[in-house]
Order: sequence, then C-alpha cells, then structure tokens
Amino acid sequence: MIPPNSYLYEMIRSELSWVVGDDHVQTGDSDKLGHSIDYYWVPEVWHDRGQKLPPPDFVVYPASAREVSEILKIANTHNIPVVPWGGGSGSQGGALPIYGGIVMDMKRMNKVLNIDPISMTATAETGINTQHLEWAIEKAGYSTMHFPASIACATLGGFIANRGTGVLSTKYGKIEDMVMTLEVVTPAGEIINTLPVPRHASGPDLTQLFLGSEGTLGVVTKATIKIHPIPESRKFHAFLFKTMHDAMGAGAKIMTSRLRPCVIRLYDELETARLIKRVLGIDKQGAYLVFGFDGPAKNVDLELEQACAICREKEHEDLGTEMGQAWWDHRYKFFYPPYMFHLPQAFGTLDTVATFANIEKVYWAMKNTIRENFPQAAFIGHFSHWYEWGCMLYARFIIEEPPKDPREAVALYNKIWDMAIRAAIKEGGVINEHHGVGLKLGRIMKELYGPAFKVLEDIKKVLDPNNIMNPGKMGFRAKGI
Amino acid sequence: MHIDKHQDVIAACRFCFMCRHLDPIGNVTFQEADTPRGRALILDKVRMDNENLKNNDFIATVYRSALSGANRYHCVSHYDEVGLVLAARKDIVEAGLVPEKVKALAEKLSGATFTVKGKGDVLYYGEHAKLYSGCKTLSGGDPGKALETLGFAGESQKVFDKFKKAVAASRCKTLIVAEPSAYDFLKDKLDGIKVVHCSECLLSAKLKAGRARKAFYLESDFLKNYDGNLASPRQLLAQCGYKLVPFGTNSEESYSVGEGAVVFDELNPELCEKLCRRVCELADNLKNDLFITPSRYVKATLTKYNPQIRIVTLEEAVAQRKDQ
Ligand SMILES: Cc1cc2nc3c(=O)[nH]c(=O)nc-3n(C[C@H](O)[C@H](O)[C@H](O)COP(=O)(O)OP(=O)(O)OC[C@H]3O[C@@H](n4cnc5c(N)ncnc54)[C@H](O)[C@@H]3O)c2cc1C
Ligand code: SF4
Repeated sequence: MIPPNSYLYEMIRSELSWVVGDDHVQTGDSDKLGHSIDYYWVPEVWHDRGQKLPPPDFVVYPASAREVSEILKIANTHNIPVVPWGGGSGSQGGALPIYGGIVMDMKRMNKVLNIDPISMTATAETGINTQHLEWAIEKAGYSTMHFPASIACATLGGFIANRGTGVLSTKYGKIEDMVMTLEVVTPAGEIINTLPVPRHASGPDLTQLFLGSEGTLGVVTKATIKIHPIPESRKFHAFLFKTMHDAMGAGAKIMTSRLRPCVIRLYDELETARLIKRVLGIDKQGAYLVFGFDGPAKNVDLELEQACAICREKEHEDLGTEMGQAWWDHRYKFFYPPYMFHLPQAFGTLDTVATFANIEKVYWAMKNTIRENFPQAAFIGHFSHWYEWGCMLYARFIIEEPPKDPREAVALYNKIWDMAIRAAIKEGGVINEHHGVGLKLGRIMKELYGPAFKVLEDIKKVLDPNNIMNPGKMGFRAKGI
Repeated sequence: MHIDKHQDVIAACRFCFMCRHLDPIGNVTFQEADTPRGRALILDKVRMDNENLKNNDFIATVYRSALSGANRYHCVSHYDEVGLVLAARKDIVEAGLVPEKVKALAEKLSGATFTVKGKGDVLYYGEHAKLYSGCKTLSGGDPGKALETLGFAGESQKVFDKFKKAVAASRCKTLIVAEPSAYDFLKDKLDGIKVVHCSECLLSAKLKAGRARKAFYLESDFLKNYDGNLASPRQLLAQCGYKLVPFGTNSEESYSVGEGAVVFDELNPELCEKLCRRVCELADNLKNDLFITPSRYVKATLTKYNPQIRIVTLEEAVAQRKDQ
C-alpha cells in the first residue's frame, strides 16, 4: 500500500487522472470500502467484526481499452498491483485488493456495440451489467439466455473471468460456450483480439485461455457472445423422489438419452426440506427434481413428455407443471435476504463438477467429511448444471453460530474448505465449477493440476513479468515473491 | 441515532447485490458506494462507531442518493433502503454536520409561504387550475417534502404547518395534488381532508378521447414505486387517446432523473445532468418522440439538460387533448 500523503501517491494519482479524468479516480473512503468487500464470506465477517479490510489505493474507472492499456502501463512503471473489478459479486475473493494498488472498476465500459441478427451474436463492453445486457438484447428481440442468479449484480467481464454460468446452462451452455471472441488488454498494455470464431483448427484456443483467468492474465474489455431467439414455449415439470439417488438416476437418464432440457435441478433431501419449503412453500419429504424444456412448442411438449416418462420409471410423486413453474418464477428469490444465508451464520458454496459415474461419490465424500469433522455444520446440496456426461454439485455448509473471534471463525472456515474440496478432488471432482478460484482456493490449485500447473505459471510469468495483474489469486504468486 | 431504527435494512443490504442494477446513481457514477449495498456498508460503519458520521466522504455519499424507490420495489422483501438514507440524513443534520450547500438549500425551502385563491369546494394544488372548474387554488413552494428528504425534519414540519393552515383556511375537504412528490407527502397527512392525485380526479371526469397519438410515458418514481404503482395516470392518458409505449429497455428502472430526492437537481446538478443524459441515450428518437411525465420536476430537468426533448406533463397532455 502506498502512503496516501506521500508524493509518490500524488504522482500516481496524477498519472491515472491524466488517463481517465479526475472524476474517474476515486480515493474516498466510501468507494474504497465498497471495493474492499465482495461476496466472499471472509471480508464480510471481517467487516462485521470491526476488523480493518485492506483497501485499494485508487479506484479507477476506465472508459476504453486504450485507457485500460494506459493504466496497466502506469502500474508496470510503478510496479503496483491492478485488480479488475466487475460487479464485486464474486464469492471467491477474486476482486479483493489484498495488496492495495489499483482496483480497476470496469462498469463504465458498459456499451452494447453491435447486434448481428444474421449470425445471432452481440458485441458488448465487458463492464456491462448482465441484466442491462439482457434487457438491451431482449429489446432487439433476442435473448442471451444467460440467467445466473447474479444477473443483476455481475458484469459480463466478471462472468468471463470466472467461467460463470446461468440457470439455462444445460441447453445454452456456460459463459465459455457462449463467447465467440474476446478483446483483451494484456498486462503489458497491449490490446489483442482472439480469433473471431470459437471453432477452428488454427492453433490452440486463446479465447479459452482468458476465459476463467480471473484478471490474472489481463483485462477483458470486449466480448462477442451468441444470442438466441425468444423460444415459442418454455415449460417445466417437477417430481419428488424418495431418495436423491433415485432422482439422480432419472436426471442422468434424461441427459444420457440425449434429450435437451434447458434446465435440470435436483435438491437433496435436506435442501428440499429447508429451502424448497421456505422459498417455494412445497413442504414434502424426499428429493425435489425440476426440469424444463424450451423451443418450438411441439418439440417442448414431446421432450417434456419423454423426460416425465423417464421419471415415472422410479417410485415418485408427480408434482406437475405448476410446482415446476413455481420454481422458475422464484428462481432468484433464494438469493435475496432473508432467504439467503447470512451472518452471523458461516456458510460457503462448495461447488464442484464430476461425471455421472463419480458425482454421487463426490457428494458423499464432501458430506461425510463435513459430518465427521465439523459436527456443528449442516450440509445441503443441489445439482444445478447438467452435461451429457455429468453434472455440477452446488453443495453448501452452514454453521449457525461460528466462533465470535474473527480469526477463529476464519480459521474454521478455511479448514472446512480445505478438507471438503480435497475430499471432492479425490473422488474425481475439481476445485470449482462456476465461481472460480480467487483468493479462497488458490492454495489447492497446484494439487489439482499437478505438474500441469507449471504450464499455467509459465504463461503467467511471460504475460505478466512484473506480476501486477491480480497477484496472489488463482494460486499464482503473491506480490513481491 | 435514527439509523439504529433501520438495523434490519443495514443487515440485509450491506452484503446484498441483488438490486444494484436499479440504482439510478450507481448506474451513472458506477461507484460501488452509490448502491444500496455501498450505502448500507458505510452506515454500518457509522452504526459500529458513531464517529464515522463525521467522515465527509460518507456524508457526500449519503447526499448523492437519488432516493429512488425502484430498489425497494424490486426487493423481494422490500427492505426500505431509502428510509435508511433518510434516517442518516436526519442524523447528519442533528449532528450539525450538514454540508453548506445542503444548508443553503434548506434555508431557501424553509421560506415557503402558501396562498389560497378563487372559489369552490375543492382545493387544487398545482399549475393547471384551468383543468378543474370550480376549484380554489393553493400556491406556494414545496409543502415540506423537500426539507424532509434533506433530513430537516423540524423545518419540514414547520413548512407543513403553514401548508396545513392554508388548507384549513380554504375550508375545502378535498385536495387535488398535481406533483407526485407532494402527493406522496400529503396523502396520509391531512386529517379530515381527502387527498387525491390529479390523475384520479381527471379520470373521473371521463374526458373524450382525441386522435390516437403515440407517447412514451416516463413513470413517476413516487407514483410507481412509493405509492403502489398508481394506475390512474396511465388510464387517464389512455382515455385521452394516448397510445402509451413503455420507455427504455425495461419496466423496473427509474427514469425520473432524481425525482425521489425532490430537489436533486439543485443539490447535485452534475449527477442530474448524467441522469438526464442516460434517459436521452435510451430514447429511440429524441427529437420526434413525445414524452409524458406526471412530474413538473422531471419535465423541467429533462428540458434543462436536453432542450430538444419534446416532453409535457400529464396535465399538459390532458389539456392538449381538451383543446382539440
Ligand atoms: C446473489 C449471488 C448469486 C450468484 N449466482 C451466480 C450464478 O448463478 N452463476 C454464477 O456463475 N455465479 C453466481 N454468482 C457469483 C458471481 O456473480 C460470479 O462469480 C460473477 O462471475 C462475478 O462477476 P462480477 O462482475 O461481479 O465480478 P467480480 O466479483 O467483480 O470479479 C470476479 C473476478 O473477475 C475478475 N474480473 C472482473 N472483470 C474482469 C474483466 N473485465 N477482465 C478481467 N478480469 C475481470 C476480477 O478480478 C475477479 O477476479 C452469484 C453471486 C451472488 C452475489
Ligand atoms: S433493498 Fe433488498 S435487494 Fe436491494 S440491497 Fe437491500 S436487501 Fe438487497
């Protein structure tokens, strides 16, 4: 951190102001506080318990790739960290300025630049709020089909940086399936474009290198994404199964029979009893499974019927379309206070992904780890994003009364994460499916990748020799090392 | 402190991002501080240590809020973040920490006086008395709402007392109010007096429809987000033959350029200009389209920063139809 009253501080501030204008370099306490806390539980509890959070030295709001480039050059000259910030809704501490320096808030770069109705693509600056993007695309008669619960909080760039996903990913893909091409400003300040199409045989795919790079390899400034027609029909259906295992069998069969649901979501018995009851008012025992199809009406009816037939092969209670639709209508309600978990509770989303052969093993490995080692924690989970080969587990641990002392609370929290994620990896899971790695899970990256992590480290070193871009995140070097 | 009564809001909003896309100020400054989460975080700091109220940057943030009800309306549990900010403003005033420009504005607003003219059983408070035959008219400044939004509760009450006296002197039992901010302020405040919004009154007059005409209706923050999404303005305009087209890309954002803060343009002109610019950027065809707003504040402000905009108030829109 640079002492605020020093002439070096003023020098850097002046240089930044020359690039973006005085109004767009913030050094006031209000904005610094807002940028010291993202959606990671640790800074929340740190704030709640009156602890001092590491603030950025400067919050800078660029308006173009050129301005981003100039800011990165200044940061290289003074060797200070730059942390891109989108909506701050990331849950892994990825956007936190842990070493001070510059927080580069991308939200001023919020324009939709082009909608191409022939290729069905749209190009936008990456600081755009994803709800604003969706509204603009809808006004033109299309949809991004990217409906994450944080659609109203996050930016396009944040999703790209974290490989985020939306509710309809099972049909329309995660963000990495939606992106056509990117404009990126490298840590050295060079403005580059990846190839214009996502399918080619012209060398390895640079677009995919930057997707999920969490601001460590550069700043993504522009993206072209696919857009879709508004479907003629979208319908949902819900079933209740006696056990999660039965429900998993049905969900997996829907996918492996190559039906194309836009969504499948399966809640384990405890989450059905807790959250489905609380949010949707469905008070049943068992595992709640909901799925939906969209597209031409005839296809939807046909596929929905086939999926229902698969579910009826097992012992079930048919909850009908209404209780499926209710889930869709209230899909974001789970995330609003007071429905969302909140302090003083300690909670974390242990999300991971594995093949159908492994996913239940991963679930039980995590659950047993929590149960056996942290009896004070509850474990609930649902399976949200489904692929032809497996699905994503959105598990959560919740502690009603974590230790009062913030250090003890954070130590406990870190231990739970360590043990649960390691248990998942052992059974074929990975660190994360769509929230990223960030500060929270960086330490486990080397274990996950093995010797392959050196390839990532070498790429980072070449692109960012001064280690200015989001140091200490994603398992990469800390600043000064 | 007044903010202590809003601890539930602080607890809910301080780590919540779910309505940030609707904060009019956040959408033009892009600052984290200018969202319900950002403001709740700083007021949480104040709650933890009251000395933090003296932080000038915190005070400036609190006075930058446009007090839009869009966020509260959107919120699943309708947490009253506007109420929290208003409480903080009261705390700032009571602690003697109010910025000079706010103080000067409050002094000016405190000087409001009210006069009643004309004959009739019904009292009309607005600028288009001609639309209402047989009404007395009440004129003067803001009835106390503006001072209330600035955090000057005592001064607001004094102005309101003057207003109440004028209403009592008129002996009317019905008060028609044109400006949405005043309607919001007065609707439950005058014992024994029926307070109606001008659109409700004009709607019951069953005016004849003119030639069909397309217009973009800019919802009032007060009528939509504070007062239960009053339907009468839209019904009235439809009755008069206007084909209303929703403005912008969505029905949730407030496009009323700081109306919720009543004197926002006087307080934060640079921000107000940005809000106006955003509205104009979202327009399909600024020069040719017709805009209708229930608020004189919105009309005056949008016209000030975009002289080419064609915008009329709800009452003017009705008057134009009547003249046909
Ligand atoms: C209520 C709630 C619900 C959520 N639901 C979902 C969900 O359904 N699906 C999902 O995927 N996630 C969800 N999330 C998590 C979060 O929204 C995502 O991780 C999202 O991708 C973060 O985007 P952001 O713009 O807020 O990024 P930030 O949190 O600001 O940043 C995240 C990371 O991206 C980097 N970054 C940001 N912008 C850029 C850029 N332009 N270039 C390079 N790097 C950049 C930052 O440095 C940081 O490392 C949820 C979060 C909340 C609060
Ligand atoms: S008003 Fe509601 S949605 Fe908005 S920040 Fe507060 S709790 Fe969240």
